[in-house]
Amino acid sequence: MAEYLRFRFLFEQMVRRELRQKYQGSLLGLAWYLVNPLVLMGAYYLMFGVVFDQTSEPDYPLFLMVGLIVWMFFSQSLLGAAPSLLDQGSLIRKARFPRESIPAAVVTVQMVTFCAVLVLVGAVTVAYRGTASPALLLLPFVLLALYVFALGLGLAVSVLHAYFRDVAPILGAILLPWFFLSPIFFRPERITEQPAARFVLEWVNPIAPFIEGVRAIIYGGSAPSLATLAYVVVAAGLALLVGRTLFARLQGELAVVV
Amino acid sequence: MQSVRPGEIVLDAASRAFSVRADRGRTLKELVLRRAGSGPPPVRALDEVSLRIEPGETVGVVGRNGAGKSSTLKVLAGIIPLDAGTVTAGGNVVSLLELGAGFGRDFSGRENILMVGALHGLDRAQIEAVTPDIVAFSELGDFIEAPVKTYSSGMFVRLGFAIAAHLSADTLLIDEVLAVGDEAFQRKCEARIAEAVAGGATLVLVSHDAALVERTCERVVVLDGGRVQFDGPAPEGMAFYHRTMGTPVAV
Repeated sequence: MAEYLRFRFLFEQMVRRELRQKYQGSLLGLAWYLVNPLVLMGAYYLMFGVVFDQTSEPDYPLFLMVGLIVWMFFSQSLLGAAPSLLDQGSLIRKARFPRESIPAAVVTVQMVTFCAVLVLVGAVTVAYRGTASPALLLLPFVLLALYVFALGLGLAVSVLHAYFRDVAPILGAILLPWFFLSPIFFRPERITEQPAARFVLEWVNPIAPFIEGVRAIIYGGSAPSLATLAYVVVAAGLALLVGRTLFARLQGELAVVV
Repeated sequence: MQSVRPGEIVLDAASRAFSVRADRGRTLKELVLRRAGSGPPPVRALDEVSLRIEPGETVGVVGRNGAGKSSTLKVLAGIIPLDAGTVTAGGNVVSLLELGAGFGRDFSGRENILMVGALHGLDRAQIEAVTPDIVAFSELGDFIEAPVKTYSSGMFVRLGFAIAAHLSADTLLIDEVLAVGDEAFQRKCEARIAEAVAGGATLVLVSHDAALVERTCERVVVLDGGRVQFDGPAPEGMAFYHRTMGTPVAV
């Protein structure tokens, strides 16, 4: 722990560097983070809101958008963290510092970006739908759990990818179907009557309660269920435990394998 | 773990082997298809090496290519773990394994000073306190505000050394990096190292430059095949080194 404290300035430097490298030389900078979910939102709205007219959610574009940005944070964190140790190989081979700071900086930068986008999307949604409520006070809590959850998984995939270069491509392949199975453009209760299938969509998919939680607060204007809140805490704790354990076990040889 | 004084280094029966495979990256396919005994056997870079270096000693590590010199330094720097044995290094260990390691090419010299200092566990105030000295020593002038990708290789090296030389090291680990700058700067580096040593710092230097080792080191360790072949005063050590290498001593 003292080791982490000693290197907190390093972490700050890494986050700054990562932020600047992301936005330097791109004309729109942060705006690119809004473009992608906006395009997806348009496409899904056209598909499900207009062409098939299957949805009964009011203000469907906002419903979509809130879920989309949570998902984008999650997937971008994992896809960014996976190759991060290899990308910073020259540092790892030449200096001694807590290696966790590399994937942690990637996830943190995604979180900063996500929060900036969320402020925009959230303000529009809350104002348009009139969903300002005391439940908003729960939002930082859910976001913190989401951050810890992504951090734990980010640590795991980064160190695994350093040893097995298949991890990033496998991750890329998993994230696409995972996206369609997540309650981003639908609500599980609207597409299936079967309790078993609903249970899988709502609870077996670990990102689903996070999406439901954020959406309940911003889009629904109500507090997430107690089960949802408990779930996100446990999921975050478990992910961090697994990530840190894996990282601690495998990091010794990092300077040799990257 | 035994306690060591700042600048003291103890290697006890340290062993480390590396598997030599063409492709360092392992994929699942290789993992599944890998058969035992394929490829060359692991190379023993360190083979039960025991060394005790006292604070303030100046030690040159020499040996032919592949003798385990760089691996020894990486073990001392705590970058590579041992298979067996122990390594303890007391105090603040600063390693110059490659000048400019950790430089972000798009960032200015000044920003990279912050980054490299942070890599060594310093905070902003500590780094900013020595930044003027680093800038002065590197002789970069106004270039300190330019991105390092615009630097010549000499400027790159000067900044890298200047940073490492101002991190108040108890132990300096230097791997064959001084040969890069121009002669004037090399002398300046040597003078700076001598200054650090006079201030009580330990120096471990890996080099093929026999003259440099003789100038800067009192003690020489000759490695071959991951084993210590000789450990003693520099003049005898260099004579031993030249004998085993079959190179005549320059007169």
